[in-house]
Amino acid sequence: MKQDPQAADKHTLFEDAQGFIFGTAMCAFALVMLKDLGFITGQTAGLSLLISYVLDAPFGWVFFLVNLPFYWFGYKRMGLRFVLKTFVCVALISVFAELFPAFVSFEHLDPTFGAVMLGFMQGAGLMAIFRHGGSLGGIGILALYLQDATKFKAGYVQLAFDGVLFLVAALLLPLPQVIFSLLGAVVLNLVIAINHRRDRYIAL
Amino acid sequence: MPMPLAPQKHTLLEDVQGFSIALITTAIGLTIIAQLGFITGQTAGLALVISYLTGWSFSWVFWLINIPFYILAYFRMGAEFTIKSAICVTVLSILVAVIPDWMSFEHLNPLFGTVAFGILTGYGLLGTFRHKGSLGGLGVVALYAQDRFGVRAGVVQLCFDAVLFSVAFFLFEPTRVLYSLLGALILNGVIAFNHRRDRYIAD
Repeated sequence: MKQDPQAADKHTLFEDAQGFIFGTAMCAFALVMLKDLGFITGQTAGLSLLISYVLDAPFGWVFFLVNLPFYWFGYKRMGLRFVLKTFVCVALISVFAELFPAFVSFEHLDPTFGAVMLGFMQGAGLMAIFRHGGSLGGIGILALYLQDATKFKAGYVQLAFDGVLFLVAALLLPLPQVIFSLLGAVVLNLVIAINHRRDRYIAL
Repeated sequence: MPMPLAPQKHTLLEDVQGFSIALITTAIGLTIIAQLGFITGQTAGLALVISYLTGWSFSWVFWLINIPFYILAYFRMGAEFTIKSAICVTVLSILVAVIPDWMSFEHLNPLFGTVAFGILTGYGLLGTFRHKGSLGGLGVVALYAQDRFGVRAGVVQLCFDAVLFSVAFFLFEPTRVLYSLLGALILNGVIAFNHRRDRYIAD
């Protein structure tokens, strides 16, 4: 294996840094717009949005706190390097999500356009984070941990979590917002399902 | 390390979704800088300068400017590339025209907008290139000049941008041009660091 820092198979520290800044800025910008539209999304980001609506709490802080318990499972299952990368990504999103509203606000944002576009943007951001070996913590880690411990499939844990989250949201938020949120979540997951392929983007 | 023996070709559906994502993010980036009155490089930058000076819509100017380049592209790069480019340019022109109806800003910090443009449009171009499309224009001329006169393609593109930004300094306030330069720098950084055929290997 080559040790050349420009080798194709391994990202350099700088490359990971620009990948994470790109990915977290993209996700945070999308989350700021989701919040503007009153939408949610799946996983811990969605839970945090819902909590921030119900309690009128700042999303960045809620997201940072909600993710804290999951780092332990991440450390047990994926190792220190992964947990550190994940912690940095979650922290960056929390900070960006609190900062961005000072720099940008919307006069008008069409809900259908918003749902699709934000699915694209979150998908782009998450994919960059995954391709650089990070994550946004949360349920995914717990799901993998549970799969190891109980043989219960990780995908079903995540799906069950999102199912419950959207059901609760349907009780708490206006129905159109929940339906647009579902559309956005479907777009986001399609972007990742179609494009996140280790056999095509091969660097680690 | 997973090393596939034969990297697959993108299917039609994969190309369609790739171009959809790429063109929408590119268009959002352009909508942001158009709102701020900034420019960028290449034919998109030239089209922005012309639209600011004449009041004509960016979309029409951008679409028309690219037409002469298709002829060269057809002879130089073949029909598939030319058709893909024409579709990308047309869809992008339409998106930039309609997005302001779907998204408008109450407040937009110029520095934030500049960085957002660089990241969004850089990402969009990266997606366009990875799916073997282009946004037409200068790249083809640059490649032709390289073959015909031995001038390196990158140098041709750099010269074009240098002239464009120099002219812009005479036409617009310096802060507008400096923000524009920063945006172009970030956009090119996103592409330079991430567009690697040895990492994203699908055709």
